[in-house]
Amino acid sequence: MVGLSIGEKHFIQGGIAQDLRSDGRKRLTTRPIYVETGVISQANGSARVRMGATDVIASVKAELGRPNALQPDKGKVVVNVDCSPTAAPMFEGRGGEELSAELSVALQCCLLGGKSGSGAGIDLSSLVVVEGKICWDLYIDGLVVSSDGNLLDALGAAIKAALSNTGIPKVNVAAGASGDEQPEVDVSDEEFLQFDTSRVPVIVTLTKVGRHYIVDATSEEESQMSSAVSISINRQGHICGLTKRGGAGLDPSIILDMISVAKTVSEQLINTLDSHIAAAEAGEEES
Amino acid sequence: MRELQLSLNQTQKVRLQRALEKLESLSSKANSNASVTVADSIPVNYEDGLLKGHGTAEFNGEVVATVCGIVERVNKLVYVRALRARYKPEVGDIIVGRVIEVAPKRWRVEINYSHDAVLMLSSMNLPDGIQRRRTALDELNMRSIFEENDVICAEVRGFQHDGLHLQARSQKYGKLGRGQLLTVPPYLVKRRKQHFHHLENYGIDLIIGCNGFIWVGEHVHVTDDMVVDQVNKSEQDDAKPDENSISPEDQEKNYTRQETRGNICRAANAIRVLSTLGFNITVEVITETVDLSTSINVAIHEMLGSEFYVLVAEKESVRRSMTKKK
Amino acid sequence: MEYVSPEGLRLDGRRPMEMRQIRAEIGVVAKADGSALFEMGNTKVIAAVYGPREVQNRSQQLNDSALVRCEYTMANFSTGDRMRKPKGDRRSTEISLVIRQTMEACIMTHLMPRSQIDIFVQVLQADGGTRSACINAASLALADAGIPMRDLVTSCSAGYLNSTPLLDLNYIEDSAGGADVTLGILPKLDKVTLLQMDAKLSVETFENVMQLAIEGCKAVATYIREVLLENTKQLEYRRGI
Repeated sequence: MVGLSIGEKHFIQGGIAQDLRSDGRKRLTTRPIYVETGVISQANGSARVRMGATDVIASVKAELGRPNALQPDKGKVVVNVDCSPTAAPMFEGRGGEELSAELSVALQCCLLGGKSGSGAGIDLSSLVVVEGKICWDLYIDGLVVSSDGNLLDALGAAIKAALSNTGIPKVNVAAGASGDEQPEVDVSDEEFLQFDTSRVPVIVTLTKVGRHYIVDATSEEESQMSSAVSISINRQGHICGLTKRGGAGLDPSIILDMISVAKTVSEQLINTLDSHIAAAEAGEEES
Repeated sequence: MRELQLSLNQTQKVRLQRALEKLESLSSKANSNASVTVADSIPVNYEDGLLKGHGTAEFNGEVVATVCGIVERVNKLVYVRALRARYKPEVGDIIVGRVIEVAPKRWRVEINYSHDAVLMLSSMNLPDGIQRRRTALDELNMRSIFEENDVICAEVRGFQHDGLHLQARSQKYGKLGRGQLLTVPPYLVKRRKQHFHHLENYGIDLIIGCNGFIWVGEHVHVTDDMVVDQVNKSEQDDAKPDENSISPEDQEKNYTRQETRGNICRAANAIRVLSTLGFNITVEVITETVDLSTSINVAIHEMLGSEFYVLVAEKESVRRSMTKKK
Repeated sequence: MEYVSPEGLRLDGRRPMEMRQIRAEIGVVAKADGSALFEMGNTKVIAAVYGPREVQNRSQQLNDSALVRCEYTMANFSTGDRMRKPKGDRRSTEISLVIRQTMEACIMTHLMPRSQIDIFVQVLQADGGTRSACINAASLALADAGIPMRDLVTSCSAGYLNSTPLLDLNYIEDSAGGADVTLGILPKLDKVTLLQMDAKLSVETFENVMQLAIEGCKAVATYIREVLLENTKQLEYRRGI
């Protein structure tokens, strides 16, 4: 972890209090974001997102599977994150597992809601091919290649970009299968259905340092945090999920305040992200 | 190839490309031909008693490079100057480092070298400034001088049997207070007479460590006298409130002034830009970059946006062609 | 199954002695001392080097040479069929060991006693030849970190299918059951440092296949050297003075 001297800590805290952070940003300014799509050609969709020195890759793989017996009209989505040891030697061996698990669970909860999938940012019913028999299983994998704070937001953005890059093959179901038989399917190689990502949320993490909170914290700033609230918000302004990390308690009124701030920040983030995704997709088609 | 990880639009790409090509044409031709990669053989004249220096080895009667870099020849000595590598200490270098361990009679300091450096209690001036033997009490009070994670500035003393030793025998060395520490590749820092800079019009201190650690912080007044007046010193200590005991409100009043902070951040961002572009980092270039950003009214955080990178690259190409003409 | 068509073309349209497109990029991980990305066709790996630095675990410290460590990891999405493997399975451990031994042979470890060098290799996409790609990426990353080496190790694989020696097998050819020879050489010293083969071959065929792999390694070496030289030149002229 980053060790900082008292003077440096003081400087960072002071910067946040005075609304001028170490790299000149205001409390609610994000770092420039860089999006690349289609980086993993074997996946159905993939994207790489960079924010400063934070660098993450997300990939989406779709596989045919059977829906859960309790929810025959819904597909399945699994989110999993790994921290590559390339990002820091401390992730070597099992060193990254704790952080990976924390990020996976936070993303799962921000993108998918609870077990019922009711709060899901991803429309699970659109993944069903034949109700009760065949559905798409989406495997969303994140990989942290380089880390400099704010991993959750970067992963959230990468997943959103990867999902807009995802083409799910069109499936033709052979007619005539009835009863308990598993119908035969024909997966098309040419026709792809674009995934609807308008409702996929972005994640905004507000990191509380001292009496103030900031967005897009660097790892130095994160080391000074008392607590952090990650809020996932979609374009419609709905909150899709929320997690709080860190030990210190928060005043309920502050949480509400944070949510409204996150909402404004998320609007800007969605807009920049959408324009970057569009540009990346256009660039990919050109090359 | 090392690619700049920036999102540039088409015109910015062309401009950056042009600026970099200009820099390439300006660089001395002798150097570009002397670039070698690992296992390239270096043409040498065996007759005049050759000395093989760093980055070279002999295989099958040939001198070959063992690192990527530039071949340098000094009289009979042939060596390869590596570019990107960890810091290689030389005696007398001024470095900035971070204390990672307080051990018996010594501190271990991380300085971007392949080992931790050692700063002995006996190789540094005591806070009271008196020259005397170090007692057991001094040893117990080591944490009051430096503790773990403190950023310090010191000088390379030399190699001893147990590793690289540092010394800090003057008031200008020692703990660095408020500011930020930046890391750049050490090859971008050139050894010069002066590594401490007090930029008066910004009110900031800039210490460009030879090891690629650069400190940008609030200006601290130092008295270079070996013996500081005892009474005077203790008064200063009393005036300084203990940071841990005061309330957050008081602490906020105690923060770095907004204006100074702005300057620190500007200088820090200038260094970040220069380091990403791979330009030599000197106090002149840093101040020029800071001035460029203020003269065209770029907000501090926008200095890390792609447009400013292009501007800095263009400015650098102009600057180098000017110095070349002279 | 036919892996080489009567016209002499392979499944992906290559000639038997043709390598896939290779691409290398240096400096892809901001915080590492040295890093590189290496692509061979669809195989894509990232290598990051940390060090030489103080040995983290004192008991492993070597008094006369540097401690070289290596970890190989595959991303979940790297293979065609997604699979979730626990970290440190036997295959990864074996490849880590192979990479470590190969790199250790070329690093001049005696120049950096009591220090530690970590090589982390991350496979982003696997399509055959991951071992080779990892070694090439690690070579580049070590050179980028400025670590003294005797020579650049380069690696390439070759196989034998439909009685034709094939250079640089992709995943389909690799899993066809024919022989797969992975070779690593020190091109300047002209020495073989890594040689692995599964399946059986007659001695004469093996000679041909190995010769082909050596040619492949040399082609990779030429490319890697170009990249490194260009990178060194760029660093130097950008720095100026």
